[in-house]
Amino acid sequence: MENYDKSLKKIFKSRLQAIQKLPKIDNNKSIVDILEEKGISRRDFMKWASYMTAYLGLSSSFVPTVAKAAEVADRLPIIWLHMAECTGCSESLLRTDTPTIDSLIFDYISLEYHETIMAASGWQAEQNLEGAIEKYKGKYILMVEGGIPTKLDGHFLTLGAFAKTGQDVAKEAADGAAAIFAIGTCSSFGGIQAAAPNPTGAVPLSEITGKPVINVPGCPPSEKNIVGTLLHYILYGTLPALDAYNRPKWAYENRIHDLCERRGHFDAGEFVQSFGDEGAKKGYCLYKMGCKGPYTFNNCSKERFNQHTSWPIQAGHGCIGCSEPQFWDKMGPFEEPMADHLFHGPFGGLGADATVDKIGISLLTVTAIGIAAHAAISAVKPPKE
Amino acid sequence: MAQLNESLKIPCKEEEVEFGVAFRWQHWIRALSIVVLAVSGFYLAYPFLSPPVNAEPTGFLYALFRSWHEIFGFVLISVILYKTFLFFFSKQHANERTSLGDFLNPKVWMAQIKYYLLIEKHPAIKGAYNPLQFVAYVSFYIMIFLLILTGLILYTNVYHSGFGGLINGPMRFFESLFGGLSTVRLFHHILTWGIILFVTVHVYMAIYNSIFGKEGGMDAIFSGLKWKKKH
Ligand code: HEM
Ligand code: SF4
Ligand code: SF4
Repeated sequence: MENYDKSLKKIFKSRLQAIQKLPKIDNNKSIVDILEEKGISRRDFMKWASYMTAYLGLSSSFVPTVAKAAEVADRLPIIWLHMAECTGCSESLLRTDTPTIDSLIFDYISLEYHETIMAASGWQAEQNLEGAIEKYKGKYILMVEGGIPTKLDGHFLTLGAFAKTGQDVAKEAADGAAAIFAIGTCSSFGGIQAAAPNPTGAVPLSEITGKPVINVPGCPPSEKNIVGTLLHYILYGTLPALDAYNRPKWAYENRIHDLCERRGHFDAGEFVQSFGDEGAKKGYCLYKMGCKGPYTFNNCSKERFNQHTSWPIQAGHGCIGCSEPQFWDKMGPFEEPMADHLFHGPFGGLGADATVDKIGISLLTVTAIGIAAHAAISAVKPPKE
Repeated sequence: MAQLNESLKIPCKEEEVEFGVAFRWQHWIRALSIVVLAVSGFYLAYPFLSPPVNAEPTGFLYALFRSWHEIFGFVLISVILYKTFLFFFSKQHANERTSLGDFLNPKVWMAQIKYYLLIEKHPAIKGAYNPLQFVAYVSFYIMIFLLILTGLILYTNVYHSGFGGLINGPMRFFESLFGGLSTVRLFHHILTWGIILFVTVHVYMAIYNSIFGKEGGMDAIFSGLKWKKKH
């Protein structure tokens, strides 16, 4: 372990040195200054850093390294694009009751281009984007929020004064990026607009660029997963350890179910039977109310949302599996267990409300009728010997 | 005696060993496991029982069902592996492999279908199973192997160390082939219904053959013996 830590430290050190050599995005602003200006003490900052260290699965001896990583973030410009989405992921990152260290790093420093929070609009915005892509070519981090419509040559989504398609904007920005993060389920897997019948032909970001894309799914992902991925990139370089769906393992390795606070009730067989019943008041497991925690890989049960205030299951509703590919089609109905999954209208819509059990019982009935008929005929007219 | 038989016009039959002891044991162990797995599985899918409310949370009912499900899951895996070995290598059960010949013979196929449609006599088959049976059994094994695979994928996500940890790598690979854990769970459930349908028809055919087949059909799986018409 010690040797492992040592070699990690070496890697981190050379990464940090390299990044520190880069010019600052804005010479008049540094993370340290901004934090001070906003009334965040060094002590708070170090607390935050030790928190993030644990979060990234590093031992406490890495706290200064992680703090350093956050401080050099003012050298990494971020271009944030909005595709077909609801801006919920930006909200998750930026809308906090008091400016957090996470939001400060993004909001005041690194975000070179972000349509929701920038002052520029219209022609000027267009120019800013082109300028940023040009100026930081090969150096910036691209974060994309939203799925990318591809039907009608991508014209389901056009942006800016030149009415460029989202597809073209994303492609161009991806070409010059040093690293690409797909923020949120839409950008990672297509999300809700890619749900059947997907009228706009929305696809994940990874399908329109040949470059590797790190997916940070969730609807929305927590602010910690977004910032954590950035810190992870600063420390480790290009690619963090990823799972089969290109999600960073440090955040998406376990199921919601594995660390859920209601898990004891699950194993005990104590389930909420209807919203608002006695079990619900006692905090029983939400499995029978359709919780998809057993099939969903994410860390909400550990991290929660809004500065660890709460998360869906704590609030009394099951997980809907929002960080899984095609969750809208696969996890529904959201308030029924997986076994009650509805199949997309087979037989021209006739089977639209068919669950496995309904289909199974129908087939069993047909089989039973067949058997009875065959047996009856055989009794009257036995088979030839 | 022979004369007596002759005069009574009872066609002479002789005993023939159809299934060995091990074969019969594995069949019944497998049958038991499937029943336990299906019942406990439906509980896992929709927990229809809740334990009495207990001040101390010690009655882990769901965990108990899952434990039995997994215990019998591994029993099933063992007997299926054993059975697979018998199929390919057992001398005594070469008749199972011989069935492949009948299976590839279209004449036997047609005759067999006609037999079940009550049109024609039962064809003479060389192996243990007629072609329809053979297809049914092959699809049964495909389903069982998929159930085991999906079961093990679910298992590695419930138990992260020990055997669960050992198989984690390959199982997670299969998990993504299925398109996520939720789909794995759904497949596991769909396949359960496949097995239920198979068992229904299988039991019917077994009874049918023991009534009309005149070879003592069902006896074979209990005693191992089959009554063969003397030719
Ligand atoms: C005839 C064979 C089997 C049948 C009929 C069967 C049936 C089922 C059913 C119906 C479910 C619930 C699925 C749902 O939620 O919709 C289930 C869950 C499960 N099965 Fe099986 N199963 C079989 C074999 C196995 C095997 C071989 C294993 C491997 C050890 C296994 C491990 C599991 C696990 C781990 C779960 C999930 C439990 C949880 O998430 O807590 N099953 N099974
Ligand atoms: S509430 Fe959901 S995630 Fe939590 S234990 Fe129950 S099924 Fe698992
Ligand atoms: S609890 Fe489930 S549905 Fe809710 S945010 Fe987390 S992964 Fe998404």
